[in-house]
Order: sequence, then C-alpha cells, then structure tokens
Amino acid sequence: MTMPATTWTAATLPVDDNVNPYVFSIALNSPWFMSKGAMLAYYGDVRFEAVTAYASMQAWVAARFSSPIYVQDWVIAEGHGRLLIGDRGYDLNSYDLDAGNLTIKAGNLLAFETGLELKQSIVPGFVTLLGTGRFIASSNGPVIFVEPPFRADPEALLGWADCPSPSVHHDAAWMAASIAGALQGAFGRASGEERQYDFTGQGTVLLQSSEIAREDPAVLRLVEAQTQLLTNSQAGSLGQRLIARAQQQ
Amino acid sequence: MARLIADKRTLRVELAGERIRAASGSMVAVEGDVEFKHSGMGGGGGMRAALKRAVAGESISLMDCAGSGRVYLAKDALDVMVVDLAGDTLTAESDHILAHTDGLRLDVMFSGLRGVTSGQGLATTTVSGHGQIALVSDGPVMALEVSPGSDLVVDPDAYVGSRGALQMSLVSGVSWKSVVGEGTGEPFSLRFIGHGLVLVQSAER
Repeated sequence: MTMPATTWTAATLPVDDNVNPYVFSIALNSPWFMSKGAMLAYYGDVRFEAVTAYASMQAWVAARFSSPIYVQDWVIAEGHGRLLIGDRGYDLNSYDLDAGNLTIKAGNLLAFETGLELKQSIVPGFVTLLGTGRFIASSNGPVIFVEPPFRADPEALLGWADCPSPSVHHDAAWMAASIAGALQGAFGRASGEERQYDFTGQGTVLLQSSEIAREDPAVLRLVEAQTQLLTNSQAGSLGQRLIARAQQQ
Repeated sequence: MARLIADKRTLRVELAGERIRAASGSMVAVEGDVEFKHSGMGGGGGMRAALKRAVAGESISLMDCAGSGRVYLAKDALDVMVVDLAGDTLTAESDHILAHTDGLRLDVMFSGLRGVTSGQGLATTTVSGHGQIALVSDGPVMALEVSPGSDLVVDPDAYVGSRGALQMSLVSGVSWKSVVGEGTGEPFSLRFIGHGLVLVQSAER
C-alpha cells in the first residue's frame, strides 16, 4: 500500500512546532492550559482535567486562570507525551511572550503554558495573557501584523500586544444618520462596517485575513453578567427587545 | 486501467473503458463519453454487506461511472488523497470515501459503540483488494504510526481511517465526558494499540 500522507511516530513528531500549517505538536512535559475540543490526537501518558477540578488540588491554578467566564471552556493537559492540536483547519501559530502582555480573541486561543496568566480583557470576547511563556492561537488565513495608529474591523481583529486597549470608532457618516435616526427610534442600523476599533500608541495589532467568527459561549455569560447593572424594568424591556429580535429571525 | 489522480481538492479520474465507483453527487465536471448510474444498494460487498450496513447505519451512497474520458470529482472542498492498495486492507470512515476503482471490495466492519456518540455509524468500512481509493479529509492527513508501547488516542471527529493490525477501544469515563469536548462534543476518544498507521485529519468536524 502506498500512502501519500506524511508518516509520523511519537519520536519523529515536531517538538513544540507545527506539523503542518493547521496542526501543532506540543511536547508535553509540564501542564498546559488547553481549550476544550482542540485535541486531535496524542501519544503517551496524557491526562485532561477540568480547570475547576484541578484548581481544587493545585492552588496556583486559580492565580493563573483568573477568568471565571472561561473556566468551563478550558482544561489542563498534564503528563508526558506528544499532543496534537487543531482548530477547524485554521492556521496555527505559536507565540512566545517574555514578561509581556498580549490580548487575543478568546475563540482563537487554543493553548498556553502555565507561566502565563489569563485575564479577561475589558473588550468583550477578548482575553489577555500576561507573563512569560508560549501560547498557540489560530487564525483564519495568515496573521497580519500592523502598527498603530490603526483602525481594525472587529471581526478581523485577532489581538494586540503592548498597546493600550482600543476605543470604538464610528464612521462619521453613519453617526450623522444614526443621530437623525435615533429621533425616530431607529437606532442601531448595522451594515457591519460602521463600527471599528481604533488603536493608538505604541505596540502591535494582529489581524486575520477573514472575518468569520466562531460563536463564543463565553460572550453570552459575559453579557448576562452585565445585565446585573440594569434595574428590573430595564431588564424587562431588554428582554422584550431580545424576544422581538429572536422572532424576526 | 482507470487512474485516480488527486489534485488538492479535486480528484481527476482517467477512464479508458473501465468503471469506477464514486460518492453520489460528487461529480463536478466530465469530459468524454462517461455514463453515470446509481449503483443500487451501493458500497459493494453484496447483499450481506448491504444488510449489515442498513443495520449498522454506516451509510454510503455510490454511483457507477463508466466509459472513456475524464471525470472530476470533489466533495465540500475537502482535501483529496489517493491510496494505492496492493492486496491489503484499509479501514476508512464511509464519510471519507470519495471514489474507488473497480477491483476493490468494500465491506462493513462493526466497531463497537463508538457510533452512538460520534454519529458516524456503528461500523466502519473496510476496503481491500488491488486498486486505488480516494479519501477526502478536512485539511492534510497525517499518518500516525502505532507500535507496541506507543499507543495513540484520537478524537473520533479527526479520525479518517487506519491500516494494519490495530485494536481500537474507547477512552471514556466521567472525567473525560465532563472535561473534553464542547457541549454536544465528544464524550469518547479512540485508543489504538497494536501495529499500524492511523490517518488523522487536521480539523475536527
């Protein structure tokens, strides 16, 4: 039988490197945080433990993973072996942080070493990694690096490093129309392009070349948690608007 | 001799009066004089296999392509690879079979409870004989070697096929169930022991 695929064994798989553009091989010796469902295959003695279960045994986990809304989407992989991870056939890249900080779209972060600390970004749907260590992230198409000042489409934005969090920029023409429209209660017309993230200062912005976003279960939890800011009557009217929106679809 | 040639995401089939079988609906273009016909019970292996298939839910719908010319086949823009068989046996998920030449025999092999959760059927398809088979995969396929002392665990959705003297078992359990896979995801994983190659694609569907 001739097999056109490249053959790998536990010994020949790359050490902490890409197997192909879409698969990354982690040489597991110390624990890694891993996104659920990223595992494709593994050799060796590897165990997966829920972050919640692991945190009760190891106190450092709670200090490293300070993002409650993401806890249920992550596991800790520990043991020894080669772990292959992938994400919907997206391009995978590994990044090294050296006492740095980088914010990335939560759905694109696949794994990170325990030398890094995960925090929730102020920007919804994004998480910030702090410290020293390696992480693996996916992107739809190759990653594009740009320097501020820069305005990014929220869907194509993958993350940013070393620069201040972005502010939201609205297209001036759209603003003018919306201010007029608000009088008639028609606020919120969305073409998808009128809202952009505005980056200023020193740093690097990471973009992916496509705008397809994955449904991030944590966004729902995040928005739900924020509804505590609302009064009961406000919450009621929000509920009615959401029902109307669901019925429209 | 009919030839299957993989070209990234399409399969080119050169026919000179022979017959091949291809997944129903996979034809994208044709040159020359080629006839297409639904191959009835499909999947080969005769009535017995068809019955097993019906019981197992390993569904495969194939069509006959016969004549002289060139046929282009594709499925969901998935990557295509062609495996040459010389009297040996390949195990593959029926979902991943795009086409095969006439000399190959397809049969159904029960593979335990796996199908209950992965939705890929209770059985897998074995392909044996002399000829070529084209498989589709989401991203490039890695052939991962299994040998004694070097077991392999694979996500069922990333599993494409295998060959060799392999035993497959389920890795399950409460911890796995609660830990790996998203909501509707996989409570099970596949553990392979023995000697052989396991084909794994780059993405879980």
